[in-house]
Amino acid sequence: MLSFIRKRAVASLISLVGLIVMVFFLSRLTGDPAALFLPVEASAEMKDQFRELHGLNDPLLVQFGRYVGDVLTGDLGESLRKARPALDVVLEAFVWTLWLAIITMTLVTGAAIVVGSLAAFRAGGFFDRLSSIISLLGASVPDFWIAIVAIVVFSVNLGWLPTSGTGSLLHWILPICVLFIRPFGIIVQVVRGSMIGALSSAYVKTARAKGVRSGPIIFVHALRNAMLPVITVIGDQAASLLNGAVIVETIFGFPGVGKLMIDSILQRDFNVVLAAILVTALAIFLMNLLIDLAYALLDPRIRH
Amino acid sequence: MKKMLVLGALMLGSALSPAFAGSGPIKIVLAEEADLLEPCMATRSNIGRIIMQNVSETLTELDVRGDKGVMPRLAEKWEQNADGSWRFTLRQGVKFSDGTTFDAKDVKHSFDRIMSDKNACESRRYFGGMTVTPTVVDDYTIDFKADPVQPILPLLLSLVTIVPEETPLEFVREPVGTGPYKLTNWTPGQQIVLSARDDYWGDKPEVTEATYLFRADPSVRAAMVQAGEVDLSPSISQLDATNLNTDFSYLDSETVYLRIDHNIAPLNDVRVRRALNIAIDREAFLGTLVPESALLATAIVPPPTLGWNPDVKVFPYDPEGAKKLLEEAKADGVKVDTPITIIARSANFPNVTEIMEAIQAQLQEVGFTIDLKFVEVAEHEQYYSKPFKEGRGPQIVAAMHDNSKGDPSFSMFFKYATDGTQSGFSDPKVDDLIKRASAAVGEERAKLWSELIAYLHDDVVADVLLFHMVGFSRVSERLDFKPTMATNGTLQLSEIKIK
Repeated sequence: MLSFIRKRAVASLISLVGLIVMVFFLSRLTGDPAALFLPVEASAEMKDQFRELHGLNDPLLVQFGRYVGDVLTGDLGESLRKARPALDVVLEAFVWTLWLAIITMTLVTGAAIVVGSLAAFRAGGFFDRLSSIISLLGASVPDFWIAIVAIVVFSVNLGWLPTSGTGSLLHWILPICVLFIRPFGIIVQVVRGSMIGALSSAYVKTARAKGVRSGPIIFVHALRNAMLPVITVIGDQAASLLNGAVIVETIFGFPGVGKLMIDSILQRDFNVVLAAILVTALAIFLMNLLIDLAYALLDPRIRH
Repeated sequence: MKKMLVLGALMLGSALSPAFAGSGPIKIVLAEEADLLEPCMATRSNIGRIIMQNVSETLTELDVRGDKGVMPRLAEKWEQNADGSWRFTLRQGVKFSDGTTFDAKDVKHSFDRIMSDKNACESRRYFGGMTVTPTVVDDYTIDFKADPVQPILPLLLSLVTIVPEETPLEFVREPVGTGPYKLTNWTPGQQIVLSARDDYWGDKPEVTEATYLFRADPSVRAAMVQAGEVDLSPSISQLDATNLNTDFSYLDSETVYLRIDHNIAPLNDVRVRRALNIAIDREAFLGTLVPESALLATAIVPPPTLGWNPDVKVFPYDPEGAKKLLEEAKADGVKVDTPITIIARSANFPNVTEIMEAIQAQLQEVGFTIDLKFVEVAEHEQYYSKPFKEGRGPQIVAAMHDNSKGDPSFSMFFKYATDGTQSGFSDPKVDDLIKRASAAVGEERAKLWSELIAYLHDDVVADVLLFHMVGFSRVSERLDFKPTMATNGTLQLSEIKIK
């Protein structure tokens, strides 16, 4: 098991380093932060002085060497725009994203497994049809539209929930509901498909013949074996949430890492972009590791 | 018991009576968060909207609601000395929010800090091409000597925010100023709170506390005012501006135009530039892709600016005339069918894509070959500002320029002088007019700017001026406040009244 983790860590580290190198050079080659920080009317001297101040006049390789040196000592540099440590800026935002992802994925997983399993139990029945329609709608309706409609209905017309922002538990409800819909739609379909396979297998027939009730058959016997593909999809969906739910963050004014990343890319705030990539990549690596462990836990063939 | 009831009724009555109205906290939602709250960056709109004149004050202030011109703020009066330098007499009894007393040394430090190479203060850009030396005369008198002499120095000083002498040269995160408010909470990504100061030198404002929230989506901003979560959104989209009681449009000092690069054929030919101008049906955009109340532009600066010239007329829409001009040019050997690229910035202003596509179609209608290219802000900047790329083809940059400062000098040099960073041409008469107008005062100044505006539009045909834009704001019925041209960059809480 340990050697497995070590191998995964090395592979992830290599891709992370590659990513950082690529982002470092590409972002510096495609835009000048001085021109973006200072107004268009700023003189060439002012821009030059801004670059000098932030070490952007040095040859790219020198800048890269300095960056690597700093990163190795744990210093991810200052944000050009915010004049404060880039890592602080990113971690502040990442905590929000992390909570959003954890809560949403927990709810999605629970709900999708129950709904998907029940749908598979009577495939083709009324509940199955209904859940298919709902999950297909959920997977295909654009989330910005749902978000705006939800605000108009629940905040403006009914006045039940705050439109956006942070501050109380109520503020979390709309963003989580909007984020919930798409992964729910996708995972329900995967659970259903996988469960139909499992429910028609020999061991389920045996259990039925022995007189086991439906509940234990679905949730004990079949589900465990149907979970492998489901876990993969859960991992995919969680990774995209960890990268930031840009649209939901933008509309609900949620201070997460997705919008921060987009804004820093547009402003060529190099250190923040790189720090955000490092932090999210690390989080996704850890999550993939958890998923691998879950796999091993569920399937003895992988464990041995 | 009866007594209690009477008392209760009285309390209820007083709670509802207007005695309690007229002061209290408000909430404001803005589109873009301030990434810094640095006083010397307050000339940037996302920062200035929050701290300019609220936390950080300036010596002088431009009157944008009336026509009083430059008004006193931290300076009580000023006069020009015989040698052309300016003497400012400062207000006494003013305290910074950290308790220190405001005097001439603070003014000198504030100016020196802006000019320092230890930071990237953006206000410095207003002092390019001149050397300004502040000299403290006594505690409440300071001289500013400018070389060359600056007739608009009092106006320029409306852009210099005053910080205490102890402020480090590097950027600060907790602005200290003399203004009616101080920063009491800043949670990045969530909110900024300003609270009224008890020891402010001027009149006590009605707004006791202002909480700033940030939402990028205009529909959400509009919904927040409607749901009563905030009291003011200075910018909502035109589509949402449907409630006559709360939604106001206002000229927002932004001007949309096409900057022409005169250096590359065929754009070096004035007939071609004129053809570009008369091939576009500007009227057709109003009320369709551009808000109805927007104005057609004849200058890079909006009408309330000094020297704006009412005699310059918008180019007529004359596609036949444009075709004729192109034929004439073609007969003289100008390659008018060379593909011309229009470079626009995605999400620069509402409907930019549709507007640019319509312009492209209108230009092609008269015989131009137009490529349309959309780029993001960083790349746009590389096309817009010098140095321009060598070996480029004929290019037109669609851009939006903001001048709410009341004087064309903040635009003309950058956009039209030979050395201007975004200037697409070089014309000695333009250079001379800019130089003379910048040095002139009073009516002479206005006259020279007017002359320049007419010359640029009618003779040089420098660019394709399109629209002076309007913004839409939603103001809760609780407030008595109308946005102005300045609201883009300054939102003075003391001007907001509570009904």
